[in-house]
Amino acid sequence: MLLEVEHLDVFYGKAQAVHSAAIGVKPGEMAFLVGRNGAGKTTIMRAISGFTRAGADSRIHFNGVDIANHRPEEIARSGLRYVFQDKRVITKLTVRENIHLAAYPFHVSPKAAVAKICDIYPRIEKFLNIKAGGLSGGQRQLLLIGRALIGNPKLLLIDEPTEGLAAGIIEDVFKVLSQLKGDVSMLIVEQNLDLVRRLADRIYAMKEGRIMMELDNSADSRSGSNLEQFL
Amino acid sequence: MGAAVCNWCKRLEMPIIVFAYLALIPLLSVNMASEIIIFSIYALSYNLLYGFMGRLSVGPMLFLGAGVYGAAMCCVYLTANPIACIAAGIVCGALLGMLLGPVTVRAAGAAFALVNMAFNQVGFFMIQTGLAGWTGGSDGKSLYFDPIGPLDFNKPNHVFGLALVCLLAAFFLMRRLTESPFGIIIKTIKENERRGNFLGYNIYGTKLLVYVITAAVSAFAGALYAIMFGYVTPSFISPARNIEVIFATLIGGRGNIYGSLLGGAIFILISSYLPNIIQRWELFFGLILLASVFWFSKGIPGIMDLFGPKKQDVNASAKGGLR
Amino acid sequence: MISVIAYGLTLGGILYIISIGFSFTFGTMKIVNYAHALIFTIGGYILYATLPRIGFYPAAVLAATLGVIPIAFIIERFVIRNLYGESVDLTIIATYAVFLIGLDVLKWIWGSNPLQMSDPINKTFTFLGTELPVYRMAVIVIALALAILIEIFLQRSMAGKIVIAGLEDKETVRGLGISVQRYFTMVFIIGSALAALGGVLYAPITVVEPYMGFQILMLSFAVVIVGGLGNWRGTFVAAFFLGMVMSVTGRWWGPASEVAVFAILAVSLLIHPIDI
Repeated sequence: MLLEVEHLDVFYGKAQAVHSAAIGVKPGEMAFLVGRNGAGKTTIMRAISGFTRAGADSRIHFNGVDIANHRPEEIARSGLRYVFQDKRVITKLTVRENIHLAAYPFHVSPKAAVAKICDIYPRIEKFLNIKAGGLSGGQRQLLLIGRALIGNPKLLLIDEPTEGLAAGIIEDVFKVLSQLKGDVSMLIVEQNLDLVRRLADRIYAMKEGRIMMELDNSADSRSGSNLEQFL
Repeated sequence: MGAAVCNWCKRLEMPIIVFAYLALIPLLSVNMASEIIIFSIYALSYNLLYGFMGRLSVGPMLFLGAGVYGAAMCCVYLTANPIACIAAGIVCGALLGMLLGPVTVRAAGAAFALVNMAFNQVGFFMIQTGLAGWTGGSDGKSLYFDPIGPLDFNKPNHVFGLALVCLLAAFFLMRRLTESPFGIIIKTIKENERRGNFLGYNIYGTKLLVYVITAAVSAFAGALYAIMFGYVTPSFISPARNIEVIFATLIGGRGNIYGSLLGGAIFILISSYLPNIIQRWELFFGLILLASVFWFSKGIPGIMDLFGPKKQDVNASAKGGLR
Repeated sequence: MISVIAYGLTLGGILYIISIGFSFTFGTMKIVNYAHALIFTIGGYILYATLPRIGFYPAAVLAATLGVIPIAFIIERFVIRNLYGESVDLTIIATYAVFLIGLDVLKWIWGSNPLQMSDPINKTFTFLGTELPVYRMAVIVIALALAILIEIFLQRSMAGKIVIAGLEDKETVRGLGISVQRYFTMVFIIGSALAALGGVLYAPITVVEPYMGFQILMLSFAVVIVGGLGNWRGTFVAAFFLGMVMSVTGRWWGPASEVAVFAILAVSLLIHPIDI
């Protein structure tokens, strides 16, 4: 297992948002986390990536190392990258500067970083010098995914990559994700079941802070007929 | 704490408070006891805003000052009847609260804290320079209040009695407010304003009302100060003194009406006696404040909790993301 | 008229120099730093103490500006840094406590009497028939030069870009693997040094006294709010705008200058409320 989460509890004040969740992602695998809004998906992602405090008994191992409640920047540098919900690019910096920012902590040359993103998403080349605030939702998402790949992470956590995107753009995101499949492991929060069925190696379904179901067989996952009840 | 008190304790509460303050007279002096009582009224009003509703203001001296100057101006220019002067002070505070409240309560957090401080600064300037013709500017004014029948508030004992009655009134008003359904809305605002809106409470109206009540009761304390000291100077509205009541509220325990009495007494004792013992008492005062932020943010009642059964620190988990 | 404008620009320049650090601390760490007022005051005192010994004004200015850096470092390390994640009221109270402690130490060393300083340049020049002190013009030039330097730092250096990004979205920057805290600390130290510089430049215009920072802090707060949270260019515009407002209204009626500033602050909060 590349990522192994056991007994994950998360509290917001007195309320418990996640109850004893267990999640595993194998090297090269593409895992999905589905569930309704408020089920605790984002909370799990944030706890794994260090942005939200995990309860004391939680066990989060990445690449054989305990990362529970480490600083998010340390976790990111160790090769686990989190792509936030809501397509959070730095709007006041140009697209190129956004990429440079990602290259900086990994000592990747800015030019190589830009080249790498253009390789994944060639159309970005036209927008390199505009402020990232001017990009459309789909362009932002692809910039974010590309940016997260700088420094060769082993695992990407992607939160709602297709939320609010038009059908044609979703297809673009899908293409990029399927192109990356196998090279880098992923754990993706996604509501679009069609996309989930086409890509998933493993699916976790959540409800009210608990993991209710795990489908780890890809044949199972593709049929996945009872997933709808979680949406 | 308040809710847990059993019925007969509640009946004994008033005599206990009265005896506690009477006991201060032989220990300290009548004037010091009166000062503690009046400051505690001010602390009670501030606790409603900060302790119960969670809105830190760095400008409560404005309303205390409104009371002091309201009473003083009434005494100098209208009538020297002390009751009329107290009423004038309260009205001044409440009106000022109604004037500023619609602006200030829209802000929260740091903005609320500082916009109040800004208004306090404006008020201070108006009293010290802008309206110096009436207020006496930096020199202030001396006040002589007429006796009403046997009551003569130029005598310390009479001031003590008046202050104690007023404290009891303020204390039970605050208790009624915080234990009523209105108190539940206030608590909801502290914990989660959005949820309050969602539940259909009139959040804006509640915040405004709390702000005005705080202003009026602070002014009440201010008016009593004017009567007790018999003079006014701009130091009664000085923004530099805002930290006093914040200190008392923090030390006594936020959101605890007994805490206001405890914190008020502690502050007056520290500020009166400490300068005699240590020359650099402000430094000491700052260090206590720092310690109370970092180690005992629940005030003295929180320190007592440390010796009680351990509770799980749920706050730690909420803070985690911000490390 | 010319002298009113010149005084407004001087005030604006000083407000800018003081507010920029406050603005960055507010914008990056969401902390209202009362200790900023202390640093400002310490700057004035160090100038007062070193000037007679050094004798050369620019050297004393430099000594005061750099002299506060260790103090700023201690405040950041032991107070500010421990306040992350605390509620906003406690951060205000804690930095206020630091302000009180420092104030008392200042009174301990120099006493509480106001100390008078003389105009270090003490020359005037005539512009369109109005006599203006050269020193005040120098303050305006320094403020403009600083604004340009800050712009260059933010736009050209990697550290500056990290700060811009951190102002907008701290979590995203951390998620990229950047220890954004280190950059915030750096900005805090630079901002504190500039506060001291502000105190140094302001000292000859007014007097050096323990509470000099108190009133300035509130003006500075008004500048930051009117300029927009985390908006360093807005801080620049607001500083000169409010400086001008103070100068114009102050000419008409002394106490009105502050009232006008805080009235603008209130209106600004009503138009775009901030929620920290």
